[in-house]
Amino acid sequence: MPISRKDTHIAGEILQGTLDLLILRTLLPGRAHGHTIAEVIEHTSENALEIEQGSLYPALHRLEDRGLLASEWGVSENNRKAKFYWLTPKGRKQLTIETNRWKHMTRAIGLILGEAQ
Amino acid sequence: MKFRRFTQRSEKDARLADEIEAHLAHEVDANIARGLSPEEARRRARLKFGNPRVIRERVWEYRSLPWIEDAWRDFRFALRSLAKSPTFAIIAILVIAVGIGANTAVFSVINTVLLKPLRYPDPQSLVMLANTGPQGLFPAANVPKFNIWHRQTGIFEAVAGYDQAGAGLNLTGGNDPEQLEGVHVTADYFRLFGAPILAGRTFTAAEDSPNGGRVTVLSYGLWKRRLGGNPNIVGTNIQLDGQPYLVVGIIGRDFFTATPTDLWLPYQFNLNSRDMAHYFQVAARLKPGVTVPMANAELKLAADQFRNTYPGSMGPKAGFAVVPLQEIMVGDSRLSLLVLLGAVTFVLLIACANVANLLLIRATARQRELATRSALGAGRGHIIRQLLTESLAISLVGGLLGLIIGFVGVRLLLAISPGGIPRIGPHGSAVNLDGNVLLFTVAVSILTGIFFGLFPALSSSRVNLAVALKESSSQAGVGSRTGRVRSLLVISEVALALVLVVGAALLIRTFLKLQAVDPGFDTHNVLTMAMSISGERFQNTASVAQVVRDGAERLKNIPGVETAAAACCLPLDGGFGLPFDIVGRPKTNDPNSGGAGYLPISWSYFDAFKVPILRGRSFTEQDDGSAPGVVIINQAMARKYWPTGDPLNDRLLIGANMGSVFAEPPRQIVGVVGDMRGDGLNRDPSPAMYIPIAQMPDKVTALNSRIAPLMWIVRSPVDPHPLVKPLAVALREASGGLPVAHVRTMDEIVVLNTSRQRFNMLLLVIFGASALFVAAIGIYGLMGYSVQQRTQELGIRMALGAQASTIRNMVIRQGMVLAAIGVAIGVGGALWLTHFLASFLFGVKALDPMAFIATLLLLSAVALVAVWIPARRATRVSPVAALRFE
Repeated sequence: MPISRKDTHIAGEILQGTLDLLILRTLLPGRAHGHTIAEVIEHTSENALEIEQGSLYPALHRLEDRGLLASEWGVSENNRKAKFYWLTPKGRKQLTIETNRWKHMTRAIGLILGEAQ
Repeated sequence: MKFRRFTQRSEKDARLADEIEAHLAHEVDANIARGLSPEEARRRARLKFGNPRVIRERVWEYRSLPWIEDAWRDFRFALRSLAKSPTFAIIAILVIAVGIGANTAVFSVINTVLLKPLRYPDPQSLVMLANTGPQGLFPAANVPKFNIWHRQTGIFEAVAGYDQAGAGLNLTGGNDPEQLEGVHVTADYFRLFGAPILAGRTFTAAEDSPNGGRVTVLSYGLWKRRLGGNPNIVGTNIQLDGQPYLVVGIIGRDFFTATPTDLWLPYQFNLNSRDMAHYFQVAARLKPGVTVPMANAELKLAADQFRNTYPGSMGPKAGFAVVPLQEIMVGDSRLSLLVLLGAVTFVLLIACANVANLLLIRATARQRELATRSALGAGRGHIIRQLLTESLAISLVGGLLGLIIGFVGVRLLLAISPGGIPRIGPHGSAVNLDGNVLLFTVAVSILTGIFFGLFPALSSSRVNLAVALKESSSQAGVGSRTGRVRSLLVISEVALALVLVVGAALLIRTFLKLQAVDPGFDTHNVLTMAMSISGERFQNTASVAQVVRDGAERLKNIPGVETAAAACCLPLDGGFGLPFDIVGRPKTNDPNSGGAGYLPISWSYFDAFKVPILRGRSFTEQDDGSAPGVVIINQAMARKYWPTGDPLNDRLLIGANMGSVFAEPPRQIVGVVGDMRGDGLNRDPSPAMYIPIAQMPDKVTALNSRIAPLMWIVRSPVDPHPLVKPLAVALREASGGLPVAHVRTMDEIVVLNTSRQRFNMLLLVIFGASALFVAAIGIYGLMGYSVQQRTQELGIRMALGAQASTIRNMVIRQGMVLAAIGVAIGVGGALWLTHFLASFLFGVKALDPMAFIATLLLLSAVALVAVWIPARRATRVSPVAALRFE
């Protein structure tokens, strides 16, 4: 039991980094609430990245605690209460850094895979 | 940041639940829009979201601080485990509570007296100006010195003079006149100390010059108590000594004065005065950036300048210095408080040793429990943490209890016996619980818990599983190692207790010696009263002499009065001193070489105090202003200045070089009286000159009346307390309506004079007794435990024919060997440590053999009792039961 928990934890951490990046990218055009963020990620990735929607929330809260996001309760497009998130300046900077890092990495992986082929 | 996340997480969790709810609602909306039934829409939404509970738990966990939760769990577990052995827990907590309580008590006084800054703005820059010289340092001033200090504008921002105690003033103009504490101050006084002004203003420079008019500033207390608390009183007159005084201002309630003060009056110095008598004190505020050594360097130059301006007024070794105000206020109580802190540290160490011993015994009994937990996978670190948490639980609960004991105890003690400690307020009311004291107690509790818990935790966590689980619980871990540690702990308890008891014995001896000192006069059945004569009426000697003569006459006619007298001052209650020259002898260079107490008295003074006339005669009513000047000296003065010759052949010139105020023709010495210990029972009598009040120079009378009240002294054959009322009435009639105040018996003044010694003795006796008690418990506990552990062995010995007395003596011997080692070490420590007490001792040496021997006997007797009980239990071991003990 403890062993398996540890494993999912590590897997979760890898996923987390990616999820953080996706959330930050999604919020680049402007503010949005959790449900919208989940839908956007789902749709723009052409449903390739199907995640449990709930796992979005620990990530959102962690990003907010780190000061990358700010939030506020408001009224959504279909007139419901919802918590809206947006990027802070710090979050914007983090997004640039993470995006660059991601591009570097995918390029490197692409090169390696290309060579292997 | 992280911590706030932790503390707010309940609230955040509720918000997260809302957020999840909102998310689900949106997803349901979307699903319905896709044409699903509401039922199906909800089901799919939930499926897609995952388990909300798991999500919330993940966020909750990420917001947790694992160590706090672990600590809290360990702590609760520790409390449960202590609750299972209540006797042990109660004893341990009580012992620690006594130790920490004593420390809290002493620290709370130290905090108030030494640590808290003075209650003035920027108190670090406040200093007192003092005279230095071969005899030490004394903070007092006269006008020429005040002038020169006032001019040191390079180092001082402000300089102010004020009365040391004050002569008192009479609030008149009503039906019952009252004597008030009026303090004369220079105009800068209020600014210097940052006094808050409640209404009106303080004195102007013009009001503080000769002929500045009759003005006064009221204290908050007097204004509320006597004058109805009406702010409109500013600008009106009150009657003081029968004269109207304009109230110019009222000072706020929080203003702290070193002596009780009802109102202030301007000093109105004649700044051209050349009088050298010291009769007031001067404080100053250092300029920003000026340090005490810098100021003292400047004052060295000022002293040279002073010597040049007033030749012969100051010896070559004398000078000026500044001393931080707080240091002056704290005085010599600093050392005595630090010694007490040392003593309570010992008490705490003994308490720690004792509880450590209890913990070791308990750990032995728990060996199996610990081994079981260890076998189930608890690491050594985990067991140590658990055991340490238990000791911390004991020390924290003990600390909390100690805080209560200590605080209540110190307030009670100070209320009974304030011990002459400065800054603690009336009956110790300024000693309070503040952040410092709480922090101290918590820190001491935690340190204590680690201190007494660490070794037992380390030693008992080192479990040999195989052995511990196999052996019966009663035998496990009777290893010689922990046994040796326990013996060591008991030995150190005895040693520490011995040091404390020796200290207590020395202070008891000191106090008894002080009680046995012959003060040189009869203190019993003497009543004293102070009468303020600061009014205009008493600026010349004849009028004061008149009141003294009339008053003494009326007092003597009251039934129950044996003798009545008046004087400038009372023994053990301060006084004046003046230099003198013996007419016909060559003058010495040092003006201080011929200095002596200067005591104006009425002719019946020696009768009232039953002081023997050793040579010549006493004063009579005929020694008045019209008669030739006379003086009586004490034996100490006669011995010092007439080791061979006869003083009665000589004349004294008093107050030469002191300025015009003291100028008078030489006086004939007409008598020598026995020494009165006027400076303190623990001081050797110093030279003293007595002169008739009726023969004082007018200007000295005027000065005296202004700075000190007239003291009345009444001797009765019985307890004089019932006489107070008729005495006050008679004196009011004799003086034209003046009230008396500060009614005290001479015995009370003596008690006050020895209160510091009484206080120190009381505390050290309390500490010594608790140390002795705790150490006795330690010996008893160890021997009792060892007898219990050895039941089987003792049973076999008895079965093999050992006599009960042999068994008993064996146990006693083992216990007493430990006690003896402890005593030996303790004596060594005491020989070294008692020299810190040297300055508190009187009539005994720090290495007083009596005190050491008495302590040895007491400690041995206590140890013997503590060993005897388990030894007797050992002889009652039944061999049959013992062999079945397993």
